[in-house]
Amino acid sequence: MKISRNGILLAGAFIVLIFSLLLNVSLGSVSIPMPTILEGLFSGSWDKNSYEQIILNYRFPKALVAILAGVGLSISGLQMQTFFRNPLAGPYVLGISSGAGFGVAILILAGSIFGFASNAMNPWAVAVAGTMGAGLILVLVSLVAWRVKDSMTLLIVGIMFGAAVSSIISVLAYFSGAEALKLYTIWSMGSLGGLGWAQVTLLSVVILLGLIPVIFSIRAFNASLLGESYAASMGISPLKLRWLMIISTGLMSGAVTAFCGPIAFVGIAVPHVARIIWKTADHRILFPASALCGSVLLLLCDAIGQLPGSAQSLPINAVTSLIGAPIVIGLVLKRNFSKEF
Amino acid sequence: MKKAVISGRNLSLGYQKGDRKREVLHGLNFDLYTGQLTCLLGSNGVGKTTLVKAIMGRIPVWNGKLLVEGKELSALNSKELSKTLAVVLTEPIVAGNMTVGQLVSLGRTPYLNWSGYLSAHDKQVVEEALISTQILEIKDERLSEISDGQRQKAMIARALAQDAPIMILDEPTAHLDLVNRFEIMQLLHSISQSQNKSILVITHDLDIALETSDQLWIMKKKEKLIAGLTEDLIVKGLIDSLFSKEKIHFNSKRGKVELENKLAKLDFEGDEYLAFWIQKALGKANIYDVKSPVKIHENPFFIHYEGLEFSSIQEFVAFLFLGE
Repeated sequence: MKISRNGILLAGAFIVLIFSLLLNVSLGSVSIPMPTILEGLFSGSWDKNSYEQIILNYRFPKALVAILAGVGLSISGLQMQTFFRNPLAGPYVLGISSGAGFGVAILILAGSIFGFASNAMNPWAVAVAGTMGAGLILVLVSLVAWRVKDSMTLLIVGIMFGAAVSSIISVLAYFSGAEALKLYTIWSMGSLGGLGWAQVTLLSVVILLGLIPVIFSIRAFNASLLGESYAASMGISPLKLRWLMIISTGLMSGAVTAFCGPIAFVGIAVPHVARIIWKTADHRILFPASALCGSVLLLLCDAIGQLPGSAQSLPINAVTSLIGAPIVIGLVLKRNFSKEF
Repeated sequence: MKKAVISGRNLSLGYQKGDRKREVLHGLNFDLYTGQLTCLLGSNGVGKTTLVKAIMGRIPVWNGKLLVEGKELSALNSKELSKTLAVVLTEPIVAGNMTVGQLVSLGRTPYLNWSGYLSAHDKQVVEEALISTQILEIKDERLSEISDGQRQKAMIARALAQDAPIMILDEPTAHLDLVNRFEIMQLLHSISQSQNKSILVITHDLDIALETSDQLWIMKKKEKLIAGLTEDLIVKGLIDSLFSKEKIHFNSKRGKVELENKLAKLDFEGDEYLAFWIQKALGKANIYDVKSPVKIHENPFFIHYEGLEFSSIQEFVAFLFLGE
């Protein structure tokens, strides 16, 4: 039996993912040798108690968050790009990140202005605020989505909502104090760490829920590559697909943004990388391929952001853009970008 | 007797925005038959696309009846309709990464489950569609790397793979060169006969439509749709109704559209068809009066005029032009 090139590439990407995971876990301000980690993971007995603490309660949850965020953002981005037939669409075009930012800005910035902020950087508080903000914008966009006929209008409305909310955040930022401003700025740079197992579990559940509509719309996304009219002529309901997409991307990118902050770049770039590597437009391949690429990219960026051996670390957004942008520019220049979509 | 698969009875269509209604088409009657290629002709803005949208179920019927295989179109759900009607639209395809084979496979969409898995039967239908459009050998090439003519054949193959008894194509020959235009229309004609499909083609290529279509529909603004066997419409002189401007007319003898230029009076001796082209050239140069008789020699070609000989029409026209 012939094993397809796509299958081999997917298997290869999975192996790369395992290595990226191990590399990510082994790097950090405290150097822990790889054999020690593997032994600890498989036997459950650790050389030092501190190692167990660092690996199991700090680095492992963080690596899992990197994978979850990579999956959620890449698959959201791919859905948006196909649905809107726009290579520049990403998980945030419907205003979800602005919405989450709005929620967090209310918590941190307005909190400092009106004096109700207490323990503002508690991850639960930030996540709840982010979720509420993202949910609010999603409800507004959905109300519009219910009324508008074509997808381009929806895209413009989503971007306009984002712009309007960003301006409210600017106003809040203008009036808030230096301390709160710094907290908010740090949140907006994104962070994969600092989450406990409870939050990681919740994030996993939400991402899995967000993947369910994706599985049931693979055929519809493939047909949508030809545009709404063709899709409709083949018995696909563009309206139904629109709702599945809003629910799926709302859950996944909303949850990721609420817990990790707005992580730039991954959602737009990774689907292109997957298209270029796998050379296909078939979503049966592109969805798993994007998920794998997104996870690997975030794991590696996070590993670099640790600045291994030093006590400092870089914000994840700085690394994803700094490392990822040249890679994508390189890939895009090597192959004709517009033809790959 | 051929069976009618799509019928319009006193059909009115239009668009509505708020309380404002704009009627585009009024009181249309037509029948689309199986096993025939029908061409829909009409100038821009007469409502051809509106009619197609209505047949695709994208806009509602205002008045009258639109029947598909004897049933009201509105009674069909989108899945049933997708198995009855396949389309090729003017919309450009952006997915250049897709191969021809993948594009044609998308035609099977109405028959697949959510995962998009193709059964052996689906694959066979796709292959047959590739074969009947003569593009099997470019099955693995990407859409961005094939010619416009091949891409249009791939779109037709996709519609064939949808396995619907009716196919509607909106200007499938736009942007193609003359040879490809003939080839595509010839292909559609042979498909309509060999697979007993009803094919409706919207086109502006009158010459090719006359050459290949079985039935012709002519649409004019605020008038009834003229439908009939292509040759009947030619004989009855109905093709001319396509042209509202007086300067353009349809020459039913030559089967082509002509600019009504005043032709030069020519007292000639020789072949009539050669004289016709000389008159044409003179007409373009605004020369309508040739004083002396002209002798046309056919092989080798030369023109004898007032004791002079011209080996090409160009020389002759230049001489007369200077003489005036």
